[in-house]
Amino acid sequence: MNLATCKLTRILVGMVLCFSALRGYGQDAKLQLANLDKLSEKAARVTDVTLDGSLLQFAVNMIEKADADDKDVEQLQSIIRNLKGIYIKSFEFDETSQYSKGDVDAIRSQLTSPRWSKIVQSMEKRRNEYDEIYVLKDGGKVGGVVILVAEPRELTVVNLVGEVPMDKVASLERHLAPGEKQPDKPKHKEGERP
Amino acid sequence: MHFSEDNLRDALKRKDPGEGFTQRVMARVDQAKAEGTRQAATKKVNGKFLSWWMHRPAWAVAVVAMLLLACGIGGYQYSEYRHAEEMRIARAKQQQLQQEAERARDQAIMALEIARAKMNHVLQHAQLQAQPNDKIRRQRL
Repeated sequence: MNLATCKLTRILVGMVLCFSALRGYGQDAKLQLANLDKLSEKAARVTDVTLDGSLLQFAVNMIEKADADDKDVEQLQSIIRNLKGIYIKSFEFDETSQYSKGDVDAIRSQLTSPRWSKIVQSMEKRRNEYDEIYVLKDGGKVGGVVILVAEPRELTVVNLVGEVPMDKVASLERHLAPGEKQPDKPKHKEGERP
Repeated sequence: MHFSEDNLRDALKRKDPGEGFTQRVMARVDQAKAEGTRQAATKKVNGKFLSWWMHRPAWAVAVVAMLLLACGIGGYQYSEYRHAEEMRIARAKQQQLQQEAERARDQAIMALEIARAKMNHVLQHAQLQAQPNDKIRRQRL
Protein backbone atom coordinates (compact mmCIF):
# COMPACT_ATOMS: atom_id res chain seq x y z
CA MET A 1 0.00 0.00 0.00
CA ASN A 2 1.60 3.25 -1.05
CA LEU A 3 1.49 6.52 0.94
CA ALA A 4 -1.36 8.13 -1.06
CA THR A 5 -3.62 5.12 -0.61
CA CYS A 6 -2.86 5.03 3.08
CA LYS A 7 -3.75 8.73 3.44
CA LEU A 8 -6.96 8.29 1.48
CA THR A 9 -7.99 5.33 3.65
CA ARG A 10 -7.37 7.39 6.81
CA ILE A 11 -9.47 10.26 5.45
CA LEU A 12 -12.31 7.90 4.55
CA VAL A 13 -12.25 6.23 7.97
CA GLY A 14 -12.24 9.66 9.62
CA MET A 15 -15.21 10.78 7.56
CA VAL A 16 -17.16 7.64 8.41
CA LEU A 17 -16.44 8.15 12.13
CA CYS A 18 -17.48 11.82 11.91
CA PHE A 19 -20.72 10.94 10.16
CA SER A 20 -21.60 8.23 12.64
CA ALA A 21 -20.87 10.59 15.53
CA LEU A 22 -23.03 13.29 13.96
CA ARG A 23 -25.77 10.75 13.41
CA GLY A 24 -25.63 9.82 17.08
CA TYR A 25 -25.72 13.46 18.10
CA GLY A 26 -28.62 14.23 15.82
CA GLN A 27 -30.61 11.37 17.30
CA ASP A 28 -34.27 12.07 17.32
CA ALA A 29 -36.20 12.31 20.55
CA LYS A 30 -38.76 9.93 19.10
CA LEU A 31 -38.51 6.40 20.44
CA GLN A 32 -39.26 3.21 18.57
CA LEU A 33 -42.20 1.75 20.46
CA ALA A 34 -43.34 -0.78 17.88
CA ASN A 35 -41.93 -3.66 19.94
CA LEU A 36 -44.66 -3.05 22.53
CA ASP A 37 -47.52 -3.59 20.08
CA LYS A 38 -47.55 -7.32 20.82
CA LEU A 39 -48.72 -6.53 24.37
CA SER A 40 -52.05 -5.24 23.08
CA GLU A 41 -53.46 -8.76 22.99
CA LYS A 42 -52.67 -9.43 26.65
CA ALA A 43 -53.68 -6.03 27.99
CA ALA A 44 -57.09 -5.30 29.47
CA ARG A 45 -56.83 -1.65 28.53
CA VAL A 46 -54.67 -0.14 25.84
CA THR A 47 -54.06 3.53 25.19
CA ASP A 48 -52.18 4.21 22.01
CA VAL A 49 -51.67 7.80 20.94
CA THR A 50 -49.64 8.82 17.92
CA LEU A 51 -49.84 12.50 17.18
CA ASP A 52 -47.31 14.11 14.89
CA GLY A 53 -46.97 15.98 11.63
CA SER A 54 -50.14 17.37 10.16
CA LEU A 55 -52.35 15.74 12.78
CA LEU A 56 -50.54 17.49 15.61
CA GLN A 57 -50.68 20.72 13.62
CA PHE A 58 -54.46 20.28 13.35
CA ALA A 59 -54.65 19.86 17.11
CA VAL A 60 -52.40 22.88 17.70
CA ASN A 61 -54.54 25.01 15.38
CA MET A 62 -57.73 23.89 17.11
CA ILE A 63 -56.30 24.63 20.53
CA GLU A 64 -54.89 27.97 19.34
CA LYS A 65 -58.36 28.91 18.12
CA ALA A 66 -59.87 28.19 21.51
CA ASP A 67 -60.63 30.90 24.03
CA ALA A 68 -57.22 32.25 25.06
CA ASP A 69 -58.70 34.00 28.12
CA ASP A 70 -59.21 30.62 29.76
CA LYS A 71 -56.18 29.94 31.96
CA ASP A 72 -56.21 26.19 31.27
CA VAL A 73 -56.38 26.73 27.53
CA GLU A 74 -53.56 29.25 27.72
CA GLN A 75 -51.40 26.76 29.59
CA LEU A 76 -52.27 24.04 27.11
CA GLN A 77 -51.41 26.33 24.21
CA SER A 78 -48.02 27.14 25.71
CA ILE A 79 -47.26 23.42 26.08
CA ILE A 80 -48.44 22.17 22.75
CA ARG A 81 -47.11 25.05 20.64
CA ASN A 82 -43.53 23.74 20.52
CA LEU A 83 -44.25 20.03 20.51
CA LYS A 84 -43.32 18.02 17.42
CA GLY A 85 -44.84 14.73 18.43
CA ILE A 86 -46.75 12.97 21.19
CA TYR A 87 -46.47 9.19 21.40
CA ILE A 88 -48.04 7.18 24.18
CA LYS A 89 -48.37 3.48 24.67
CA SER A 90 -50.04 2.40 27.84
CA PHE A 91 -51.03 -1.14 28.73
CA GLU A 92 -52.97 -2.17 31.81
CA PHE A 93 -53.18 -5.86 32.59
CA ASP A 94 -55.53 -7.89 34.75
CA GLU A 95 -52.69 -10.13 35.86
CA THR A 96 -49.07 -9.54 36.74
CA SER A 97 -46.00 -10.47 34.65
CA GLN A 98 -47.67 -9.94 31.33
CA TYR A 99 -44.69 -8.10 29.88
CA SER A 100 -41.05 -9.06 30.02
CA LYS A 101 -37.97 -7.25 31.26
CA GLY A 102 -36.80 -7.33 27.64
CA ASP A 103 -39.77 -5.19 26.60
CA VAL A 104 -38.70 -2.50 29.06
CA ASP A 105 -35.02 -2.88 28.25
CA ALA A 106 -35.76 -2.32 24.57
CA ILE A 107 -37.06 1.13 25.56
CA ARG A 108 -34.22 1.82 27.99
CA SER A 109 -31.59 0.87 25.41
CA GLN A 110 -32.79 3.78 23.26
CA LEU A 111 -32.13 6.16 26.13
CA THR A 112 -28.47 5.32 26.61
CA SER A 113 -27.19 8.15 24.42
CA PRO A 114 -25.36 10.86 26.40
CA ARG A 115 -27.95 13.38 25.31
CA TRP A 116 -30.58 11.59 27.34
CA SER A 117 -30.52 12.12 31.10
CA LYS A 118 -32.49 10.22 33.67
CA ILE A 119 -33.80 12.96 35.91
CA VAL A 120 -36.13 10.93 38.11
CA GLN A 121 -36.00 7.29 39.06
CA SER A 122 -38.27 5.55 41.49
CA MET A 123 -37.53 1.91 42.12
CA GLU A 124 -39.59 -0.34 44.38
CA LYS A 125 -38.00 -3.74 43.92
CA ARG A 126 -40.25 -5.55 46.37
CA ARG A 127 -43.32 -4.46 44.44
CA ASN A 128 -41.53 -4.66 41.11
CA GLU A 129 -42.17 -1.02 40.27
CA TYR A 130 -39.77 0.94 38.12
CA ASP A 131 -40.71 4.50 37.24
CA GLU A 132 -38.35 6.77 35.35
CA ILE A 133 -38.31 10.14 33.66
CA TYR A 134 -35.72 10.95 31.00
CA VAL A 135 -35.11 14.24 29.23
CA LEU A 136 -33.26 14.90 26.00
CA LYS A 137 -30.92 17.86 26.27
CA ASP A 138 -31.03 20.10 23.25
CA GLY A 139 -28.65 22.95 23.97
CA GLY A 140 -30.05 24.65 27.01
CA LYS A 141 -33.55 23.39 26.35
CA VAL A 142 -35.44 20.15 26.77
CA GLY A 143 -35.76 18.54 23.34
CA GLY A 144 -37.83 15.59 24.44
CA VAL A 145 -39.20 13.72 27.44
CA VAL A 146 -39.78 10.05 28.11
CA ILE A 147 -41.83 8.88 31.08
CA LEU A 148 -41.52 5.17 31.71
CA VAL A 149 -43.87 3.54 34.18
CA ALA A 150 -43.22 -0.18 34.55
CA GLU A 151 -45.38 -1.67 37.28
CA PRO A 152 -46.63 -5.22 37.78
CA ARG A 153 -49.96 -4.57 36.07
CA GLU A 154 -49.06 -1.58 33.98
CA LEU A 155 -46.56 -0.56 31.37
CA THR A 156 -46.71 3.00 30.12
CA VAL A 157 -44.34 4.89 27.88
CA VAL A 158 -45.00 8.57 27.27
CA ASN A 159 -42.74 10.13 24.65
CA LEU A 160 -43.03 13.87 24.08
CA VAL A 161 -40.89 15.20 21.24
CA GLY A 162 -39.97 18.86 20.96
CA GLU A 163 -39.53 21.63 23.45
CA VAL A 164 -41.35 20.41 26.54
CA PRO A 165 -42.02 22.78 29.45
CA MET A 166 -41.88 20.09 32.15
CA ASP A 167 -43.20 22.29 34.94
CA LYS A 168 -46.22 23.26 32.91
CA VAL A 169 -46.99 19.66 31.98
CA ALA A 170 -46.80 18.59 35.61
CA SER A 171 -49.06 21.41 36.74
CA LEU A 172 -51.68 21.00 34.02
CA GLU A 173 -55.20 21.20 35.32
CA ARG A 174 -57.16 17.98 35.36
CA HIS A 175 -60.11 19.38 33.50
CA LEU A 176 -58.48 20.71 30.37
CA ALA A 177 -61.51 20.84 28.17
CA PRO A 178 -64.58 22.05 30.03
CA GLY A 179 -67.72 20.11 29.21
CA GLU A 180 -65.78 17.17 27.85
CA LYS A 181 -65.37 13.75 29.34
CA GLN A 182 -62.37 12.99 31.51
CA PRO A 183 -59.83 12.09 28.87
CA ASP A 184 -57.44 9.85 30.77
CA LYS A 185 -60.03 7.21 31.48
CA PRO A 186 -60.83 5.68 28.13
CA LYS A 187 -63.55 3.05 28.41
CA HIS A 188 -61.73 0.49 26.33
CA LYS A 189 -59.00 0.10 23.78
CA GLU A 190 -58.21 3.42 22.18
CA GLY A 191 -57.87 3.62 18.42
CA GLU A 192 -54.36 3.93 17.12
CA ARG A 193 -54.67 7.06 15.10
CA PRO A 194 -57.61 9.41 15.13
CA MET B 1 -55.45 1.07 -97.05
CA HIS B 2 -57.43 0.91 -100.21
CA PHE B 3 -61.19 0.34 -100.31
CA SER B 4 -62.77 -0.80 -103.47
CA GLU B 5 -66.29 0.13 -104.46
CA ASP B 6 -67.44 -3.39 -103.69
CA ASN B 7 -66.11 -3.14 -100.16
CA LEU B 8 -68.00 0.04 -99.56
CA ARG B 9 -71.19 -1.33 -101.03
CA ASP B 10 -70.87 -4.40 -98.91
CA ALA B 11 -70.29 -2.35 -95.78
CA LEU B 12 -73.21 -0.02 -96.39
CA LYS B 13 -75.74 -2.55 -97.47
CA ARG B 14 -78.94 -2.88 -95.45
CA LYS B 15 -78.76 -5.26 -92.48
CA ASP B 16 -81.59 -6.84 -90.58
CA PRO B 17 -81.60 -5.64 -86.91
CA GLY B 18 -83.09 -8.89 -85.73
CA GLU B 19 -86.34 -9.72 -84.04
CA GLY B 20 -87.64 -7.50 -81.18
CA PHE B 21 -85.57 -4.51 -82.18
CA THR B 22 -88.45 -2.11 -81.68
CA GLN B 23 -89.26 -3.54 -78.23
CA ARG B 24 -85.65 -3.20 -77.15
CA VAL B 25 -85.48 0.39 -78.27
CA MET B 26 -88.77 1.24 -76.55
CA ALA B 27 -87.63 -0.43 -73.34
CA ARG B 28 -84.46 1.66 -73.33
CA VAL B 29 -86.46 4.79 -73.87
CA ASP B 30 -88.79 4.00 -70.93
CA GLN B 31 -85.84 3.28 -68.64
CA ALA B 32 -84.17 6.61 -69.49
CA LYS B 33 -87.45 8.42 -68.84
CA ALA B 34 -87.88 6.84 -65.41
CA GLU B 35 -84.35 7.74 -64.31
CA GLY B 36 -84.80 11.33 -65.39
CA THR B 37 -88.04 11.66 -63.45
CA ARG B 38 -86.46 10.33 -60.24
CA GLN B 39 -83.51 12.76 -60.35
CA ALA B 40 -85.78 15.63 -61.07
CA ALA B 41 -88.01 14.74 -58.11
CA THR B 42 -85.06 14.72 -55.66
CA LYS B 43 -83.80 18.02 -56.94
CA LYS B 44 -87.26 19.42 -56.62
CA VAL B 45 -87.58 18.35 -52.97
CA ASN B 46 -84.19 19.85 -51.97
CA GLY B 47 -84.92 22.97 -53.80
CA LYS B 48 -88.30 23.25 -52.14
CA PHE B 49 -86.85 22.84 -48.63
CA LEU B 50 -84.15 25.42 -49.18
CA SER B 51 -86.40 27.80 -50.96
CA TRP B 52 -88.91 27.60 -48.04
CA TRP B 53 -86.20 28.84 -45.67
CA MET B 54 -84.83 31.30 -48.20
CA HIS B 55 -88.22 32.92 -48.44
CA ARG B 56 -88.64 33.07 -44.61
CA PRO B 57 -85.37 34.51 -43.18
CA ALA B 58 -87.05 35.56 -39.95
CA TRP B 59 -88.02 31.99 -39.28
CA ALA B 60 -84.48 30.84 -40.01
CA VAL B 61 -83.01 33.41 -37.63
CA ALA B 62 -85.57 32.49 -34.98
CA VAL B 63 -84.75 28.80 -35.22
CA VAL B 64 -81.01 29.48 -35.06
CA ALA B 65 -81.56 31.82 -32.10
CA MET B 66 -83.66 29.16 -30.35
CA LEU B 67 -80.96 26.58 -30.86
CA LEU B 68 -78.28 28.94 -29.54
CA LEU B 69 -80.47 29.84 -26.54
CA ALA B 70 -81.11 26.19 -25.76
CA CYS B 71 -77.38 25.45 -25.95
CA GLY B 72 -76.62 28.45 -23.75
CA ILE B 73 -79.19 27.52 -21.11
CA GLY B 74 -78.00 23.92 -21.14
CA GLY B 75 -74.37 25.00 -20.76
CA TYR B 76 -75.20 27.43 -17.97
CA GLN B 77 -77.21 24.82 -16.10
CA TYR B 78 -74.40 22.31 -16.48
CA SER B 79 -71.81 24.80 -15.19
CA GLU B 80 -74.11 25.67 -12.27
CA TYR B 81 -74.48 21.99 -11.48
CA ARG B 82 -70.72 21.50 -11.65
CA HIS B 83 -70.16 24.51 -9.40
CA ALA B 84 -72.72 23.28 -6.86
CA GLU B 85 -71.13 19.83 -6.94
CA GLU B 86 -67.65 21.28 -6.38
CA MET B 87 -68.97 23.39 -3.52
CA ARG B 88 -70.62 20.35 -1.96
CA ILE B 89 -67.40 18.34 -2.19
CA ALA B 90 -65.38 21.24 -0.74
CA ARG B 91 -67.86 21.61 2.13
CA ALA B 92 -67.73 17.88 2.84
CA LYS B 93 -63.92 18.00 2.79
CA GLN B 94 -63.87 20.97 5.12
CA GLN B 95 -66.27 19.23 7.47
CA GLN B 96 -64.10 16.13 7.41
CA LEU B 97 -61.00 18.21 8.14
CA GLN B 98 -62.81 19.92 10.98
CA GLN B 99 -63.80 16.57 12.46
CA GLU B 100 -60.26 15.30 12.07
CA ALA B 101 -58.90 18.41 13.75
CA GLU B 102 -61.35 18.01 16.63
CA ARG B 103 -60.35 14.39 17.03
CA ALA B 104 -56.67 15.39 16.96
CA ARG B 105 -57.33 18.08 19.59
CA ASP B 106 -59.11 15.57 21.84
CA GLN B 107 -56.25 13.12 21.38
CA ALA B 108 -53.69 15.81 22.20
CA ILE B 109 -55.58 16.81 25.33
CA MET B 110 -55.91 13.19 26.37
CA ALA B 111 -52.20 12.59 25.69
CA LEU B 112 -51.13 15.60 27.74
CA GLU B 113 -53.48 14.55 30.51
CA ILE B 114 -51.85 11.09 30.55
CA ALA B 115 -48.40 12.70 30.46
CA ARG B 116 -49.35 14.90 33.41
CA ALA B 117 -50.79 12.00 35.37
CA LYS B 118 -47.80 9.76 34.75
CA MET B 119 -45.27 12.48 35.44
CA ASN B 120 -46.92 13.31 38.75
CA HIS B 121 -47.22 9.61 39.54
CA VAL B 122 -43.46 9.09 39.05
CA LEU B 123 -42.59 12.26 40.95
CA GLN B 124 -44.86 11.24 43.82
CA HIS B 125 -43.30 7.78 43.97
CA ALA B 126 -39.83 9.29 43.94
CA GLN B 127 -40.82 11.70 46.71
CA LEU B 128 -42.31 8.90 48.82
CA GLN B 129 -39.13 6.90 48.41
CA ALA B 130 -37.01 9.86 49.41
CA GLN B 131 -38.99 10.54 52.59
CA PRO B 132 -37.99 7.40 54.60
CA ASN B 133 -34.34 7.96 53.63
CA ASP B 134 -34.57 11.51 54.96
CA LYS B 135 -36.01 10.20 58.22
CA ILE B 136 -33.17 7.69 58.59
CA ARG B 137 -30.63 10.38 57.81
CA ARG B 138 -32.18 12.70 60.38
CA GLN B 139 -32.21 9.91 63.00
CA ARG B 140 -28.54 9.19 62.35
CA LEU B 141 -27.70 12.87 62.75
